[in-house]
Formats: sequence, structure tokens, C-alpha cells
Amino acid sequence: MSEIVLRVENLSKYYQMGEVTVKALEDVSFEVEEGEFVVILGPSGSGKSTLLNIIGGMDTPTSGNVYFHGEKITNFTDKELTMYRRHKIGFVFQFYNLMATLTAKENVELVAEITESTADIDEVMEAVGLYDRTDHFPSQMSGGEQQRVAIARAVAKTPQILLCDEPTGALDFETGISILKVLKDVNVKYKNTVMVITHNSPIAQMADKVIRMRSGNITEIIKNESPIAPERIVW
Amino acid sequence: MKKLDLRLFRMIKNTKGQYIAVLSIIVTGIFIFTAVSNSAVNLRNTLDDYYDTTNFADIFITAAAIPERLERELEGYENIRQADVRLSLDTRFITDNDDDRVNVRVVSVDRKENKLNELFIKKGKRTITEREVMVIDQFALARGLDIGDEINLDIKGRKFKFIVSAIVSSPEYVYLMENEQVLLPDYENFGVVYIEEDYLRKISGSGSFNELVIGVNNQDKIDKTKDYLEDELEKYGVMRVIDRDEQLSNSMLNEEISGLETVSKSMPLIFLLFAGIMLSVMLSRIVKKDRTSIGVLKAVGFLDEEIIFHYLKYAASVGIIGGFLGAIIGTLASGAMTNLYLEFFNIPMLTVQVYYYRIIVSVILSFIFCLVSGFWGIKNIIKINPAESMKPESPKQGKRIILENIKFVWNKLTFSWRMVYRNIFREKKKFLFIAAAVSITCSLMIMTMWMNEIMDVMFIKHYSEFMKIEYNLSFRDFEDERVLNEIKENISYNHMEGRIELPFEIKNGKYSKTANVIGLEENTEFYDFRDLDGKKLTVPKDGILISSNLANSLNAGKGDRILLDSFIPDRDGEYVTVKGVIEQSLGINGYMNINYLNRKFLDKGIINGVYINSDDNVKAKLDDINNIISIQSQEEMQNVFEEFTGLIMVFMGAMVIFSGILGFVILYSMTLMSINERTLEFSSLRVMGFTKIEIFRMLIKENMVMSVIGIMTGIPLGKRLVDYVGNTFNTDIYTLRGIVSAKDIITAIILTILFIISAQLMTYVKIKKLDFMQALKSRIT
Repeated sequence: MSEIVLRVENLSKYYQMGEVTVKALEDVSFEVEEGEFVVILGPSGSGKSTLLNIIGGMDTPTSGNVYFHGEKITNFTDKELTMYRRHKIGFVFQFYNLMATLTAKENVELVAEITESTADIDEVMEAVGLYDRTDHFPSQMSGGEQQRVAIARAVAKTPQILLCDEPTGALDFETGISILKVLKDVNVKYKNTVMVITHNSPIAQMADKVIRMRSGNITEIIKNESPIAPERIVW
Repeated sequence: MKKLDLRLFRMIKNTKGQYIAVLSIIVTGIFIFTAVSNSAVNLRNTLDDYYDTTNFADIFITAAAIPERLERELEGYENIRQADVRLSLDTRFITDNDDDRVNVRVVSVDRKENKLNELFIKKGKRTITEREVMVIDQFALARGLDIGDEINLDIKGRKFKFIVSAIVSSPEYVYLMENEQVLLPDYENFGVVYIEEDYLRKISGSGSFNELVIGVNNQDKIDKTKDYLEDELEKYGVMRVIDRDEQLSNSMLNEEISGLETVSKSMPLIFLLFAGIMLSVMLSRIVKKDRTSIGVLKAVGFLDEEIIFHYLKYAASVGIIGGFLGAIIGTLASGAMTNLYLEFFNIPMLTVQVYYYRIIVSVILSFIFCLVSGFWGIKNIIKINPAESMKPESPKQGKRIILENIKFVWNKLTFSWRMVYRNIFREKKKFLFIAAAVSITCSLMIMTMWMNEIMDVMFIKHYSEFMKIEYNLSFRDFEDERVLNEIKENISYNHMEGRIELPFEIKNGKYSKTANVIGLEENTEFYDFRDLDGKKLTVPKDGILISSNLANSLNAGKGDRILLDSFIPDRDGEYVTVKGVIEQSLGINGYMNINYLNRKFLDKGIINGVYINSDDNVKAKLDDINNIISIQSQEEMQNVFEEFTGLIMVFMGAMVIFSGILGFVILYSMTLMSINERTLEFSSLRVMGFTKIEIFRMLIKENMVMSVIGIMTGIPLGKRLVDYVGNTFNTDIYTLRGIVSAKDIITAIILTILFIISAQLMTYVKIKKLDFMQALKSRIT
């Protein structure tokens, strides 16, 4: 059995909006094994982004704990959380969020400069299918290409977990599939854990594990014994 | 290059308009600081070097008769290093023109070299023989005198012919003025010539000397030395003992240098302050725009301090580049500026140095200033939450502005004006900054216009309202007032009065000042005395009226008893009551009833000058009367003034440009910022059918409202600035006090508007180039 890379224990997150307490997450618990491809599925407002932000060290819970390789990150100081994000986590956002004034390759090199162990940048660019677009600025690239750069940026610092927030949300079907393929390839090639959150249920078919969420709760966790290749997904 | 630095570099490239704008203000501020302060230091150093080289005296004494042996007797006592006696006579320079009354001060010099106040030979030789003269440079130049030329002097009523053997400069006459009362140098009509000591004594029939100059060992003990000399020389009829600080030429120079130092401290501060605010606003806008990018940087593991440092580099680069450029240009300009000053001050050995430490200080100063203001602008980086920053910012709450509550105004506004006012009220800080910039520009312009006008006004006021004297005649010695009859017989005149003009050391407690006191007839028609409230005053039967700058120097006011010491041998000082403080724009004086003055300090019925109002050819007709040392016409004084407006014009031009840059740059960059931030809004308006001109008009209206507010507040601010300048630049020579005229204000407003319009036109180019459709698209991708 693989090592547990992430353990989430009774995680809750409440927001106070005027007199109303919004329960973004309530008593959420699950585990993720090393190298797993996990899809967190749920409609908007189900708490999946909040969950991803807490796992990624960008937000803190109201109660409960998150363990990374057995170390409790929910006790971390701001600086420790930043170091955790710097060395252990890779992020891919829905709107790519690249630095507009840096070229594709420079965007990737930017994060590589602050991490201890980095992958070969050219190899990563090739792995995401962008070898011939490295000198282009984000404004000169399509959405799909920008998202590939975002993935390369996340992968280049050899994170142990790759967190992807609706990575295909702003893309058309074909581009979306190609991005999912890149994510799967990265998962296989670099053996890192990939967690994708999406509201798009067909994507769950490619996952090793599917966590379904609704209104801040986990409704079910399914272990997928036979994940399909991204190319076979249709929506 | 690190990728973050590369990003910074490209960010600067993308915002080059604003970057250059803020840079130009920093450059201007540092430029003024370096140019003016370097000039002040250059002048100070040049002067010090000159004084050292020429062994400039520390104390100057005028007395009735000083024996030569006193030199030996004094040296070595009471801090006295060196003593040198000399003969100084005011004589007439004879020209071909009878109307000319050119005064020349003849000063005795040693055959080879003076002990003190050595002469700087510009041309010719220092060794001097009988019938040779050395002529002061400024006078020689104005009169076209050269080596070998012949000059004629009237010494004690006899004509003497001399050959010019050298053209010289003297540390005593760097600023060549006859006395405190003439206010400005007149090179053509006053000069100094140096004649060999024994020969001058022979031809003037003077057995003794009338001046003594002293060099001291320790400057700190100079007051004690002065007191000692006053006591010691009393028996020789000591009239005046002044130190180097009070020496006319030196005090004029010191006043000028102090003025430069004040400007070098205050003006750059205004520029740096505005640059700081602008930089802070700019960076806070950039950070706001980069909110998501900052969130991403945090998300991928950059520390807060790393991100802050990244943005601070922007501010630091402005500080370093601005500081460096400003300091370099300023240093280069300071050479030219010092040279310009030397047109007016005759220092033959100019020391223009590059002060590397000042360049470094400027860069550090500008760097720290930018860093602090930069940090102020970007401090909100700490507050950006990476998770929140990924979400689009919630739109600003739309709420009614105050103006909307005033229904009768609001309802009358058109749609576009309503938008204008809403924008202004929603971006209060930015618009207040624009208003402040316009306000300061307008106020600086007002001050500049006022200064230009006040110089004219000061002269006109002084010579036609305060003093209504067409000719001021001075006798060499005191005369019986019956001499007036002789003058009356020689010329036709409208009005004539005898007068006394005498220097006094005036004391009020610990305060002391040497100034001329003028004795006038009780109902004098030559002066119009007004107190500081403009109320008319007459010459009191007893007591004294003092000018406001004298009142300031003495810390005295109406009713105070002040001590007047006349320098006349065997006469003790007398207490006199101040009967009023008068407004006087030029010069520093006291005024007394002539009978009271004579009774108290001199003898009855004597005068040493005459005021004349006449249409006659006074100068030519009075030429033969003995004992007249000078006849100055009002016209001559005003002509001299015209020559001296050159420096003022240069200063004024520079001030207009600098103030304009401030208003122009801030308005331009703030509008540019608006355009960059509101492209989406403008794009939507374009989609709705607004033309580029209409959008531009909207922007203009916003700036116009703030400009009007800026100008309206700029007027009282300008007046305050004028008051401040008036109080700061209060010297013995002039008192800058005067009302800001409507003409000053209107000119200042017109100039301010011109700079505003040019800034607006520049931004129109930007609006024309904007791709509104691309702006709409970029929001989608």
C-alpha cells in the first residue's frame, strides 16, 4: 500500500456574513495516497475551493486538521505555510493567472528560482506540449496554451501535490481534454499526487479516487478501480 | 536577471509615461537642491579662499586721525594678529562730461603689498610708484580703463593726473557699493582706486591716517577685541568699528548665500513631497491592479517581504535614477549658476568643485524618500489573501454622493456632469492630489509674479511715494545751513531742504545695529512716512521713527527707548524714544527731527546734505560748489536697478518652469492613471456610442473641476507664501513687503491654465491610441 500523503480530519470552515454563519465546510475527513489522481466533484458553493485552499495552505480552517506526510499543517505559522506552498505544493488556477509581462518560459522559471529542487524547465515545457511557444507572452497565447504554461509552472518545482482548481473551467471541450491529458501525463511522469476540483462530473472517470461534495459536506468517496484515459472522456 | 526583476523592468517599460513623470519631479527637486546648494557652497568656498589668499581683514575702523605707530603698538595685544593703517578719501573722478558726477574712493596702499586686504592683480603690476594708480576691476570695465590710461582725480579741490598701472580686485569690494544707502552697485559712477601711501599723504596733506584694518587670531573673541579697540582708539576720534560680518560687501554676499541656502532647503522639499505622494499613489494603484498576480506569487510560495521588496525596487529605482540624474545635472548647472553670480560679485578666483559627497547625499536622500513613500503605497500587499485574490474583486458599493442630496443643484446637472461629480467623489484622494498639485503650481506662480513685480514696486514706491527726492546732494563734511542760500542762488528749484545723514550704532538691550539716521525738517515734503497699517506719520519733535527692518533687528517697537551712539569722538550715546515704526521697502534707517538730532548729537544749524526737487540742470550748475561729494539723481538709481533685473529674470524664468513642471507632470500622470484604470468603463461608453472626443471631454471636466478648486485654493496659498517669503527675505537692503496685485494673480492663473491645457492635450494622444475593443476582450480572456 502507498504512503498517505495527505490526511484531512474533521475539517470545518465557517464564515460570518452579517448575522448569518455560512458553513463552507463541515466535518470533512479523507485521505490521499502518494501518486493518486484525485477528483473532488461538486456543484458551485459545495466548498470544494475552500477545501483546496486549506489543503494548499492558502486558508486556515475553523476547526479540524490537515496532515501532510503526518505533519500537521493547520498549526503552521504564515511563514511556514508559505514555505509549504513553495516546496510541496503546485497550483493550477481556473484563469491560469500567469504573469502578463513574462514569457511562457519565464513564467515557469519564476517559480523555479525560489525552490530547492526543480525539474528541467525545457523538459517540462516539452511535457506540456509547449516547446515551440516558450518565448511567447500570455497575451499571444490561447487559453489552452496559457493553462499548459500554468501546469508547467506548477510542475517545474516538483511539488508533491498538484492542486488544480477547475483547470478546464474556462476552456472549450477539446482544449479541456488536452489539459486533462497533460495533467495525467504529469501525474504519471513525475509521480506526484494530483487533486483536481471540478463541477464537471465526466472528469471523475479518469480519477483514482473521487470525492463528491455538496453544501460543505463529503457525500461520498469512491475508489475508482479502472480509471479511463482522458481522451475517452466526453461532456 | 531574476525573473521578478525582469517583470519589474517590463512593468516600468509598460508604465513609462508615469515613471518618467514621477522621475522628472524627483529630478527637478534634486536638481534644485544640488544646483542651488552647490552654488551656495561654491560661492562660500570661493569667497573663503579669496579672503584667505588676500588676507581679508576681520575688523574695520574709521577714525579722525590714527598715527602710524599704532600698527606696531596694537599687534600682539588682545587677539590682534595684524594691524594696517590707511588713508581713505572720497574724491571726484573727472570726466569730459560736466553732468557726470563720478565718485572714486581713493585708498592708500603699500608700495609693494598690503599686510591686510591684499589686492588681486588682474592685469598689470603690483609694485606702485608715485602718480600711478591701481583701479578696481568693475569700475575699470564700466569706464573702459586699461593699463597705461590716464585718469584725473579731484583730490581736496586739486586736480591730479594718474596713470593706470594695474587693474585689481579687492576682497573689500566683491560687491562694489559706495555705502549702505545706495542699495545697488553702480559701476560707472562709483569706483575705487589705490594710490601709493606716502604720495597720497603728501598730496592730500594728511599727516595721519583715517582707517585701520585689523586681522585677528581667533574669530570667536572678535567682540572682545572690538570693545578693546573702541576704548583704545577713543582718543583718536574713533567713528566706526565694524567686523567682517557687518562689512558692506561681505554682508551683501552673506545675505545672498543665505538666501540660496534657504531656497535649497525649501523648494526641493515641495518637489520631493509631491513626488513622494505621486509615487505612493502610483504604486498603490499598481498593487491594486496586480492584486491577482500578487495572490499568485503568494500562492506559489513567495514571502510577503519578497513581494514587497519586488515592488519597492520600483520606488528605489525612481529614487536612485532620479537622485543621480538630478544631482549630475544640478552639479553641472551649479557651475553655470556660480558663474552667473560672479557676473554680479567680483571674485577673481572662482572655485567650482564637484562635490561627490553631495551627489551621494542627494542620491541617498532621494532613495530614502522614494523608499518610504513607495512603502506607504504598497503596504497593502500584506493584506492580500492569495485565495481571495483569485476571485474578482467585488464592485465598489454604489452610493449617493453628498452633492446628490442638494437636489436643486443635482437636478440641473446634465448626465455627463453627474458622472464627472460621481467619479470625483469616488476617487477623492486622487482628485484631492490633483487639486493640491494645481494649487501649489498656482501659488508658486503667484509668488514668482509677485517677486517680479515687487522689485519694480519696491523701487517705484521707494523713490516716488516714500521718498520724493529728485536730487540728493551730499557734502564732504558738515556745513552751516546757510550754504543752502548759495545753492538756491545757483539753481532754480521747486523745493529744497537741508538734511543730516549720520551713521549710528543703535542698541536696544542685547540687540545692536549700525544704521544711518536722517535728520529732517519737521514738515518735510521729501518723505511720506506711513506706519505698517498705512497710517500717515509726521517727523516727531523729539524721538525717532525707525524702519520696520531696523525695528526687527533691534527687537524694538513704539515707545521703546533705544541707545544711539554716533561714533563722533567725545560724544556719549544718548537714549531716544521710538515714536513709530515705518514701512520702508529699501534700506534700513532711522528718522529724526533735524533740530532734535543736532541738539542731541551735533551742533545747532548744521547739515551734511541737501534734498532738492528741481527741473534745472542741477548737476552741472552745482559742479563748482566746493565740498559737494555727490549729487545723486533718482533717475540714476533707477537705471542701475534695470541692470540688476537680469539675475531676477533668470530666477523667475526657472521658477515658472519648475512650478509648471510640477502641475503638468502630476496632472498628466494622474490622468494617464485614470485612463489605464478605466479602459473598461471607456470601452463600454464607446460601445454605447460615445466618441473619443466625448470621453476625453469627460476626463477634462473632471480635471477642470479639480483645477478650478486648485486655482481657488492656490490664490490664498500663494498669498501665504508671499507673506512667508516677505518675512524670510527681510534684509538691510530691502524689505519684501507688498500686496499681491490682481495682475500677479491673473498672470499666475493664465500660466497655470496653460500648463494644465498642455498636460490635457498630451493625454488626448493617449486616448486616441487606446484600443478600447482590446480592453473589453482582455477582460474575457
